[in-house]
Amino acid sequence: MKPVLVIGGGIAGIQASLDLADRGTKVHLVERTPSIGGVMAQLDKTFPTMDCSICILAPKMIECYRHPNITIHTQSEVIGLEGNVGDFRIKVLEHPRSVDATKCTGCALCSEKCPVKKPSAFQVGLGQRKAIYLAFPQAVPLIATIDREACLWFTKGVCRTCEKVCTSKAVDYEQKENIVDLNVSSVIVATGFEQYDPKDIGEYGYGRYKNVLTALEFERLVCASGPTGGVLNRPSDGKVSHNIAFIQCVGSRTQTSGYSYCSASCCMYATKEAVLIKEHEPSSHVTIFYMDLKTFGKGFQGFVDRARSHWGVEYIRGRPGEIREDPVTKNLTILYENTEVGRVERLDADLVVLCTAAIPHRDNAKLATVLGIGQDEYGFFANPDPVASPVETDRPGIYSCGSCHGPRDIPESVAEASATAAKAAEDAARAEGVA
Amino acid sequence: MKYALYLGCTVQTEQYGYEASVRTTMPRLGVELVDMTGVSCCGFPPFSSVSELAWLYSSARNMAIAEGMGLPIFALCNGCHLSFVETKHKLEHSPELKAKMNEKLAREGLRYEGKAELIHIFELLHDVVGKDKITAAVSNPLEGLRFAAHPGCHAIRPSRIGRPDDPENPKKLDDLITWLGAEAADYPEKIDCCGSSLAAASGKTVLDIAGEKLKAVKRRGFDGLVTTCPFCFKVYDNKQRAIQATVGDRELEVPVFYYTQLLGLAIGVDQESLGLDLNQSPIDPVLEKIGGK
Repeated sequence: MKPVLVIGGGIAGIQASLDLADRGTKVHLVERTPSIGGVMAQLDKTFPTMDCSICILAPKMIECYRHPNITIHTQSEVIGLEGNVGDFRIKVLEHPRSVDATKCTGCALCSEKCPVKKPSAFQVGLGQRKAIYLAFPQAVPLIATIDREACLWFTKGVCRTCEKVCTSKAVDYEQKENIVDLNVSSVIVATGFEQYDPKDIGEYGYGRYKNVLTALEFERLVCASGPTGGVLNRPSDGKVSHNIAFIQCVGSRTQTSGYSYCSASCCMYATKEAVLIKEHEPSSHVTIFYMDLKTFGKGFQGFVDRARSHWGVEYIRGRPGEIREDPVTKNLTILYENTEVGRVERLDADLVVLCTAAIPHRDNAKLATVLGIGQDEYGFFANPDPVASPVETDRPGIYSCGSCHGPRDIPESVAEASATAAKAAEDAARAEGVA
Repeated sequence: MKYALYLGCTVQTEQYGYEASVRTTMPRLGVELVDMTGVSCCGFPPFSSVSELAWLYSSARNMAIAEGMGLPIFALCNGCHLSFVETKHKLEHSPELKAKMNEKLAREGLRYEGKAELIHIFELLHDVVGKDKITAAVSNPLEGLRFAAHPGCHAIRPSRIGRPDDPENPKKLDDLITWLGAEAADYPEKIDCCGSSLAAASGKTVLDIAGEKLKAVKRRGFDGLVTTCPFCFKVYDNKQRAIQATVGDRELEVPVFYYTQLLGLAIGVDQESLGLDLNQSPIDPVLEKIGGK
């Protein structure tokens, strides 16, 4: 039976790959970064159960890696697609890791000795990594990679320290990029989303005020594997923050800077992060500014009710108009209208977290062109019949799941991933004349 | 650098210090100012609540006169500048309105093409004259003084139709202050409104709002407040005694200057020519510190 191509190794792509592989269908999983895992690997906990995110995800990642039916192509992108459902001919461009995957043991001695430091994408820039690095401790595959734009050997022709310290002789500066030709029956797109950059909303001062963070940055700050080991040291002075405010709908549900749609997961992840703060230090004061609380998923309303009644998280209905920073203390003041009482009020905070919109990935247009599929008005991949065929794109045999076709939370991404796997398995069987 | 000088009603009827300091400083920086004849009120955007056409007509008429002169309009007042920018924006997006304006303007033999360039004092001093010329002209640097920049709402909003500075983080006036040798520091209340738009509805509210800002400026240890808007100046300077009474603090004293007055002091213009006698806030301590001529 012909294999299925899955593009994107986040939770959606992983789930779709595992579903297909478990039913006996071969899968090629193409991931752009050095490790599968996606955004879920960066999260501390998941809502509404407060399970450790990586603890749920890591076993799935490893299963993907070890599964005899799954081939993972990391640091790779799909650059060509021809043919039709049942017989797609695919070109995958594999970028060089500069490390021999068959030899590297993931010991990280190379990155320990590497002299070059760069902001870590996994830590959303709050921490650093080396020029040769493992994407994160639970990376899959656990193989080092060289960032050629940062590496001294590639930029200046000096160093080669990693080669000297590697006991398994895995470093390979000569590696070239490689094009792999695949013949697959169908394609699952699971490339995910990116975060809206709140710098465009000048009144919130992101980028100008050190203690204004995005929710993903905060997720790393509160996480035990984050840059501060989970202690809420705020960026301006390292002081532990006990008075924290969240602002919802930053770049979403707006007609001005950003996108008009609801970003789907923010009400819940803000509640989760608020509860995390309370778990760390119950005397903390946590406020969530919201427009409407969207708690439609299974167990979501109960989770918010508990956050309010048990943990004492304060919810204020109102979209803040402005954040101000004290020039000396770097403390923040939020100016807002409390629309439940119709009063203009102020709230002081040590740290403000902006719950930014999930937005279409900037490379969606490129991938849409390669795959010959459409995008919606915002740039997400389009589903022409979202009610009856919510995971089908406008090209037969190409399916989409997760946040690449609109903001999704984890449960929904996983459910959609399974749906695409079922659709793709049907195509694979039909191509063999089995169905 | 030649500009049609549009003074506007407030400057001509009561804010002489601004006009005087502009007329004495600008030529020293190589800016030639040409007076406009036959101009009227800018139209005053709030008029649009009574008659949008009347506002647009007054505004377009002044721009038509500048077009006739072949010069960009340098409007001193934030409000006048905004009125012109808004009108230009509206007429650009509505050919019908533009045709209607020209029909009316034809009675005076005027025509509005939409070509008139508009320049704000921040743009003129910060972007056109620039740092090099201003710092080179400074003979009496205002060292040891720390001023709060107050750009004024209409210089930065509405944010999407082309205002001279960033609506949330305006910096140009701060730059201009530092080029004179003084210090300008960011402060959270920088973009707070002076309140003057509310004057017709509730005078006391204006004074309350302005009082909050003056208190912050004083509390944060500034030597004074600097603006280029005649409305803001009118509230903070001319009404400072009334503000003191309203907030119940007779000690609430904040020296208030037009930027061009400080510019004049720094480049060696004599105090009398800068209209400093007309400032009603207690500016003497600052003048003493500056010394000079």
